[in-house]
Formats: sequence, structure tokens, C-alpha cells
Amino acid sequence: MVRYELGELIDDRPADGIFRVSRAIFDDPAIFDLEMERIFEGGWVFLGIADQARAPHDFFTSWIGRVPILVSRDGEGMLGGFVNSCPHKGSRVAQTMSGNARVHVCPYHSWSFDSAGRNKAIKLKKAGCYAEAFDGQSHDLARLPAFEEYRGFLFGSVSADVPPLAEYLGEAAKLLDLVADQSEEGVELVPGGVTFTYDGNWKLQLENCSDAYHFTSAHPSYIRLLDQRQKSNSQSAVKSVWEKTDYWKEDAEGDVQGGSFSFDHGHVLNWGRFGITDALPLYESAERLAERHGEAKRDWMFNMRNLTIFPNLQIAENASSQLRVIRPISADRTEMRTWCIAPKGESGDARRLRIRQYEDFFNPSGMATPDDTVSYENCQRGFASRVEPWLQGYSRGMSASRTGGNAFSSVIGLAPARSVLADAQLGDETLFHSYYRAWAQRMVGALGA
Amino acid sequence: MSAIDREGAEELLYREALALDSGAWDDWLALYTEDATFWVPAWRDEENVTQDPDSELSLIYYQGRRNLEDRVWRARSGLSVASKPRPRVVHAITNVLLLTANDAQARTSSSFAVHLYDKRSERTHVFFGRYEHALRNEAGDWRIAAKKIVLLNDVIPTVLDFYSI
Ligand code: FES
Ligand SMILES: [Fe+2]
Repeated sequence: MVRYELGELIDDRPADGIFRVSRAIFDDPAIFDLEMERIFEGGWVFLGIADQARAPHDFFTSWIGRVPILVSRDGEGMLGGFVNSCPHKGSRVAQTMSGNARVHVCPYHSWSFDSAGRNKAIKLKKAGCYAEAFDGQSHDLARLPAFEEYRGFLFGSVSADVPPLAEYLGEAAKLLDLVADQSEEGVELVPGGVTFTYDGNWKLQLENCSDAYHFTSAHPSYIRLLDQRQKSNSQSAVKSVWEKTDYWKEDAEGDVQGGSFSFDHGHVLNWGRFGITDALPLYESAERLAERHGEAKRDWMFNMRNLTIFPNLQIAENASSQLRVIRPISADRTEMRTWCIAPKGESGDARRLRIRQYEDFFNPSGMATPDDTVSYENCQRGFASRVEPWLQGYSRGMSASRTGGNAFSSVIGLAPARSVLADAQLGDETLFHSYYRAWAQRMVGALGA
Repeated sequence: MSAIDREGAEELLYREALALDSGAWDDWLALYTEDATFWVPAWRDEENVTQDPDSELSLIYYQGRRNLEDRVWRARSGLSVASKPRPRVVHAITNVLLLTANDAQARTSSSFAVHLYDKRSERTHVFFGRYEHALRNEAGDWRIAAKKIVLLNDVIPTVLDFYSI
């Protein structure tokens, strides 16, 4: 049983300039169970991209909270989302991460289903001496109560009680457009996925993606290496976009180097100015994208952008481009499924540059991500304490946060709920408020007020 | 000059293992040619690793020893929380086969298990898989011109660095 009142977990008093989060929400297994029920199994969750099931009868498997999911494209080309569990005795039906199957045969007693989830056969049905009532039940795979696509991004819910996807994404959908519109053909996942785990709460990953404050303190080894590589000018060194831009450097010139946007339902973006640089694989398309989408939107495609669609999708476009899916395992354990997401049809050179930058920066075997995940584990250890339960990491930017957008959002017609304009040193933390306000809304019925 | 035999190839592989296990990373780097390739492919699906590092993702892919030097620099820099304190590792290498060999070059395949103990996280893990080494004779010294590491258990518990595989 959760014995907390909401106010003991999230201390949100804008008028007093206070926003605090209790260590308990990262650490308490009872709260984790509630999060699964209320957030992951009670609303929209990202499943994958349409291109993962490109052709008729292609499928891939995913998760909504603890529930295994099958996404399948039927013979007519329609995508469907199903619980990947046999109506007979519950066995997982599809066994692999992806594949192509006109018919899915359950490995346990061979009930079979077509690519639209319809039951095709029940083994030895006639000889089975079923009661008449059996035929009155559907033997199809359970369809997700909600399943929708936005520009190739697929979301599902095991609860029917959700707003339409467009309403849930709201203005943040325009930030998915900045990804989807990088090629007229859409986006794809580069073959080869990387999965890693860390012994810490899922919200550590949620926050870190949007945490501008940590870059220079958690990644100095990476930053120094970039410096050394730039000076050595060696042909064999892996190139990185970070070398070509200085928005993140604490002594960067100029007032506005980036900032954050927050949206309803817990979606957030933090961003920085990159400019149109040939260190980005998108450079080859710079002119075409400006012609097609206008310069303002093109320039935004070249900005550093870390986008979170609450609760489990993150798209990081900085050094290369990563799509991450957060899968919480327990209060103190999380699995990350990660891919390099890329515009279809880019040149071989651009793709190679994208992949090399990706491996060096994003992989758990690279030179940046491990310094994040080890820090998550350090935090998780510290969360055990209730001596002083409140965390203070939600305070930077408090006096800079504004209702609505700013000049940078309006040029692309984006209307966030709140925004912060930042110089290179601000390291806004108010965008996390959006996560925890959405969190509080979803959890409130289960906690005392 | 003469072709390397299996014993000679094993010796080189075991010396590489000892250098990694003991943190003698300069010795480790010295075993590689300047243009060496170091490749840990990712997995495309349950049964197949990626084949083309230019169009598919790898866990690690470097061409040129200087990129390995960067990794060593970072691990020693004191500027990476993930790299210090250094986990304890032991590389166990078995099933060494000499696939081809002449005066100038040779190829081997072998199996590995790297036992890793990370004191800070209280985590013990075994990374295991297969190595393919391409060896080259450089003025009488046999060096590693390419190493491909097929990591079979590719769900990474938090960190994988060059010394953990
Ligand atoms: S559990 Fe699927 S056929 Fe029995
Ligand atoms: Fe980071």
C-alpha cells in the first residue's frame, strides 16, 4: 500500500518559488507498482516506428509497462497493435523482436492467428468436445484498446481511457515533425539495436535526457577528447559535431544559446544552437530542406534537440541521432532499448558519419553514456535516504521560466506551455516540472491529496 | 621470416589478455598496428550480428589505433566517473585456431569469457563470445591488424569498455 499523500512526494508551490521532489518516488517499490498501473498501463506509451514493420505481414514486438505487445501489419497494409499473449493459456505468441509472418502459431498448443490478429485455427477443435458457449467467445489476439500512428511513430495503450493521440501529443507533435520531415521518404532505424540496463529508476533517464546542467561536469573526458582530436587534425579520428559548435561551452559568447520548452502531458524539449554545420550528416540536405520547409524549420532541424514524449520515448539529436525507449523493470532497475534513427535515402557518407558519431557518444560501450548511467546508479544509492527526503534539482531556471513560447518557438509556429531561454550556463531544471506535473495528474487518484 | 604457428598466435592472444587484465594499456596498444581495426558488431536480430559497419550499427568500430589511444586516455583521465575505480577483469581465451598463416599475415579464431567484478556497483558479470584476430608481421614482430569481437550476451549491464571484452 502506498501511504503517501501527493504533497509528500511532489512539493509544487509556484507562488513560493518552490519545486521539490521526494527521493521516495525513485526508490519505493509500491510507488513503482502504481506508476506501472497509472502511467505505463494507464495511458499512451511509445511502441516503435512504422518502418519496423514495413511490408505486409511484417511484425515487431514491444512492451507497454509489463505487458508484451505485438505490432503487426496485415495483408492489406494496416498496422495493428495486440497483446502478445495467446487467448488459450497466455503464452507469448510471437517469439522474436521482429519478423514476417502471415500466420503466427502459438508454440504451446498451436492455436494460430493471422497478421490481423484473427484466430485462424484451434488445433483439433472438432475433437475437443467444447461446450457451445466456447464459440461465443472471441479467440482472436486481444487488440490494444488504443493504437495510433503519428507520422510513423506508433503509440498504444492497454487502457481505453485515453485522449486521442493528437491531443495527447499536442504541440509536441511538431517536434516529431522535425524528425519525420528530414527526408521526404521518412525515417528508419539503422540495422542493429543496442540494449543496456542500469540499476536505477526509470525517471533518472527521463530527466538526464533533458538535463543541460550535467554536460560539462559528467562528460569532461569526452569534451577534452574532442579538443585533442580537433587539434591533432588526424584523418582517422572519429569526427563529432560537438567540435564544430560551442553553444554548450560555459564561456560561449552570446546571450541565447538554447533553452527549454515544456508541454502539457509531460513532454519536454531542451535545445541548443548548432547552426548549419558540415559536422551534421544532414548537411547534404540543408538546401533542399530549406526549400521544402522554409529556413526557420530547416534551422531547427539542425539545432541540438533532446525531446521526451512522456513517459517512454526520447529522441536525442546532437552527436548523431538516437531513438531511445525506456522500459522500467523495477524501482531500481531500467532497460533501455536504443537505435540510431536516420532519414531514409541519405548518402553513404552521411550515414557513415551518423553511425560513427553515434557509437562514440551514445552507446553504453561509447565514451559519454556510461558517465550518465553510472551517475544514475550513484543517485539511486543516495535515494535510499529519508533523512532529508527532498531533492533540490528542480530549481535552476525558476526565475527565467515563462508562460508560453518565445521568438524561437514562434518562427516554427510552436506553442509550448512554458519556455526558458538560456545562455550557456543556465542549465534549466524547470522543464522537469512538466514531467512531475504530468506524473502527479496520473497518480493523484491513487494517493491522498 | 617465417609463418606464425598456433603456439605463437596463442602467445600473442594471451599477452593481449594479460595486458588488459593488468591495466598495462600501453603494452596493449603496442600490440596493435597503427592502422588497426577494432570492431564489436551490434546484433541485427536474435541470431545475426551486423555485417557492414558503414551502413549498420556496431557497439564499437574504430579504424586506426589512435582511436584506441583515445579510449585509453579517457579511461586514465580521471575525468570519467564510469572509468574509475577500474573494474577488475580476467580474460579467459580458449579454442584458439589458426585459420590461415603465411610469412606476412595470419588469421585466428578463438573463444573468450571476460569475468568482470565492479566493486563500486557490487556487480559481477561475464561477457562472452568469439574473437577473430588478423595478425600482421611488422619487421619480425607479429601485431594485431584487426580484431573483431562477437559479443554473444549483448544486453550491457550499464557499461562496456575496451577492457571488458
Ligand atoms: S497457450 Fe497458445 S495455444 Fe495454448
Ligand atoms: Fe549525458
